[in-house]
Amino acid sequence: MLRVVPPKTHAPLTPAVLHILLALAAEERHGYGIMKQVQADSGGQVTMGPGTLYGSLNRMLDAGLIRESARRVDPEMDDERRIYYRISALGQTTLKAELERYRRVLTVAQQSHIVGKGVAYGQ
Amino acid sequence: MASDSKLERSRVWYSRLLGFYPQRFRDRFAEGMEQTFADVYRERRAAGRGVTGFVFGAFAETFIGILVQHVEQMRSSSMTRDTSGVLKTVRLGAIGLALLLVCGIVTVMVLARGTGEDITGVVAPALLLVIVSAVVAVVTTVAAKRAGNHGASRP
Repeated sequence: MLRVVPPKTHAPLTPAVLHILLALAAEERHGYGIMKQVQADSGGQVTMGPGTLYGSLNRMLDAGLIRESARRVDPEMDDERRIYYRISALGQTTLKAELERYRRVLTVAQQSHIVGKGVAYGQ
Repeated sequence: MASDSKLERSRVWYSRLLGFYPQRFRDRFAEGMEQTFADVYRERRAAGRGVTGFVFGAFAETFIGILVQHVEQMRSSSMTRDTSGVLKTVRLGAIGLALLLVCGIVTVMVLARGTGEDITGVVAPALLLVIVSAVVAVVTTVAAKRAGNHGASRP
């Protein structure tokens, strides 16, 4: 009998990994860029220091969720060359699967009238 | 200018702290972490927010990160049977145990001095354990060196 095996997507993700994947979904970023984007995406509710950020990046690189890009200077900052990170195909699949999981949870919560529609951070 | 020298000083100390990460992690991320530390420092300073709290927070958070990475490395090295890593851990454990026992023996001897109490029953097994620990430390050191040489001679 045939059994459908779901793709390995590493879901569920930790909040740090989810936010980093979200930050990298649109474009490549360096460490500080990721930190700023995570802060912006979460309305300032999720902040991470260098230790947490790079610990997560290490695990995500090992898991194949992200890749290192070329080292280059950020024109909006100083003249230091920085390592950029980009989301991989597996990272995109994993992010979609995780967001779908969140969507299903939110639907259940809305059906149970635990939360209203149009839920966002801190509301 | 004074602020820049403060940043440079903090950056140098942060860079030293990063030296305690496992080598693989350090090679991969130390430069980026140092840059990110300096970026956040500059951002807070430009926004007129205090940097002292950030510096302490970053040092504490990074210190915890260092411990986590070492634990993860030990776990992965035992999973991949990285003998030199396991031998190093055993050696450190044996040396630590031996030092602890020596301290205990000395304390017992000092406390028992002049009381006429027979402490042979306590000291003898402890001394035996010290000897065993010392032997384990020596054996693991030799084995780790051999494993290192063997690993180095492999392509």
